Amino acid sequence: MIKLDALFPSPRPRRQAIRAEGGPTGPGEGQVTRKNAPHPSPLPGLGGSQSGERGRLRLILSIGSPVALLLLWQVVTALKLFPPEVLVSPAAVVAAFGEIIASGELQRHLSESLTRLGWGFGFGATFGLAFGVALALSKTVERIFGPTFQALRQVPVLAFIPMLILLLGIDEVFKVVIIAKAAFFPVALAAYDSIKGLPKSHFEVAALYKTPWWVLVGRILIPATLPNILAGARLSLTRAWLVLVAAELIVADSGLGQMMEMGRQMFRLDIVMVGVIVAGVIGFGLDRLFQLIQAHALRWKAA
Amino acid sequence: MKILKTQNLVWLLGLIPPVLFLLWWDHQAKQGGTNAHIYVSLAQIVGALRETFSSGELTGAYAASITRAFSGLFIGGILGTTVGALMGLFKPVEWALQPIYNSFRQVPILGWLPLIGLWFGSGDGSKLIIVALSAFYPTVLFTFEGLKQADTSLLDVSRVYRLTPWQSFWKVRWPAALLSIFTGLFQALAFTWISTIGVELLFASGFGLGSLMQSAQLQARLDIVVVCVLFVGLTGILLNTLIRQLSQRLLAWRSVRT
Repeated sequence: MIKLDALFPSPRPRRQAIRAEGGPTGPGEGQVTRKNAPHPSPLPGLGGSQSGERGRLRLILSIGSPVALLLLWQVVTALKLFPPEVLVSPAAVVAAFGEIIASGELQRHLSESLTRLGWGFGFGATFGLAFGVALALSKTVERIFGPTFQALRQVPVLAFIPMLILLLGIDEVFKVVIIAKAAFFPVALAAYDSIKGLPKSHFEVAALYKTPWWVLVGRILIPATLPNILAGARLSLTRAWLVLVAAELIVADSGLGQMMEMGRQMFRLDIVMVGVIVAGVIGFGLDRLFQLIQAHALRWKAA
Repeated sequence: MKILKTQNLVWLLGLIPPVLFLLWWDHQAKQGGTNAHIYVSLAQIVGALRETFSSGELTGAYAASITRAFSGLFIGGILGTTVGALMGLFKPVEWALQPIYNSFRQVPILGWLPLIGLWFGSGDGSKLIIVALSAFYPTVLFTFEGLKQADTSLLDVSRVYRLTPWQSFWKVRWPAALLSIFTGLFQALAFTWISTIGVELLFASGFGLGSLMQSAQLQARLDIVVVCVLFVGLTGILLNTLIRQLSQRLLAWRSVRT
C-alpha cells in the first residue's frame, strides 16, 4: 500500500497520517516510510512531510560526528591510554598553536611557503596558459611540442625533485621551479583542450564577419575558454600546494613542510598536528578563494 | 603520393625537442668545470642503467614500488568502496561521515607523512598507509556519487516490482554505480603511483624507486637519478594508457573524459 503511495501524486495527507499513527521512530508503518525515504524521488510529496525531522537528524549527525571525534580524542588522552609522544590532547595542540603564533614561528614559515607558492604558481600558470594556447592554435607548435608535452605531463612531478636538487641546488630557485612545474601542466592542458574543443562555427562566423583577431580573442576565445581554463588553474593551485608541502618536507630551511618535518624529528607531535591542520586549512582556503574568483569571473554565465 | 609521405613523416617533428634537449644536455656534460660536475653524459646514464640493472638494484626497487602502489590501491580501494557505498546507501552515514571526510581530505596527502611517521615509524607500514589513503579518497567519492546518481525512474520501477532493498541494491543501484566506481579506481591508480614515489622520497629507508633516487641524490649520482626518473615516468605513461584503454572498453557507452 505504502509502496504504491510513493508512485502516485498527492500522497501527502496519507503520509502525514502515517506519521501521526506510527510516529517516526515508532514501530509499524512509520518504519516503512523511513525505509522508503532514502530513495530520491522526483514525485511530489515524498520526503516533504519528513523534512523537518530528517533535517534535524542531519544537522545533529553532521555536527555531532566531528564533535564526537574530538570528544573521543579528548577522552583517550585524558585516560592516558597512549604516551604523550604518541597522542597529545586537543588542548596541547591548541597550546602549541598559540605558542608558535606568539613566537612568530608559524607566521614566518607560512609567509615563506605562501611566497613560494605565489611565485611558483604565478610562473607556472602563466607559462602554462601561453604554452597551451600556442599548442592549440598552431599546428606546427603542436606537432613539435605536442608529444613531449603529453609524455611529460604524465610523469609525477615529485619524481623530478631529486634531479632538480642536483641541478639547481636546494635554494629558493629549486622550490619555485618545482611548484611552477606542478602548476604548469593542468593549466596548459585545460587551455589546450578548451581551445581545441571550440566549435568550428565560432571561427567561421568570425571569418564571415571579417572579425579582426583581437576581437576574436577578446570576444570569442576568452569568454568561451575561460571556464575551463579557470578550472584548470584551480587544479593547478591544489597540485602546487601539495607539491610545495612535499618539497618542503624533503628539503627546505623554512616553510610549513619544514616546520612539520622538524616537529617530527624532535618528536613534537603537537607541532606536527598543528602543521597538518594548518596545511589543510590553507589548502581549503586557497581552493575556496579560487572558487570565489571563478564565480566572480564567470558571473556573466549565470545571468 | 607526396602528401602521404609527408604525413607519415610528420610525427618525426615531435622528436625535435627531446633530441635537441639530449644534444644540449650532452654538450653541457662535455664542458669542463662545474658543468661536468653536475651534468652527466648520456654514456654515463646508459652505464648507470646497466650498472643498476645488473646489480638487481633497479629491478628490486621497481618491484618494491609497483607492489606498494598496487597493495595501496587494493587496501584503499576496498575500504574506499565500502565507506563510499555505506555513505551512498544510508543517509545517516552520509551525514555523519561527510564533514569528517571533507575536512580530512583538505590536508595535502603527503602532509600526513610526518604525523604517520611519528605514530608508525618510517617503515613500509607508514608508507602503505599513505598510499592506501591516496587510493581511498577517490574511491569513496566516486562510489558515493555513483550510488547517489542512480536513475530515480529505475528506482521507482524497482519499487513497482516490490524488490526487496537487497534486490534493488544488487540489481539496480550497484550496476548503475559500477561505472562511476571504476572511474574512481582508475583515478586511484594514478594517485597511488604518484604518492608511492612521494612517500619513498620522504621516507628513503627501504626499497623503491623513490628511495633509490633519494639515495642517489645524496651521493650526487645524477645518472642513477635520471634512470629512476625515466622509469617512474614510463610507468606513469604506461598506467595512464592502461587506464585509458580499460575505461574506453568499460565505459564505452558513456561519454567519459579520461
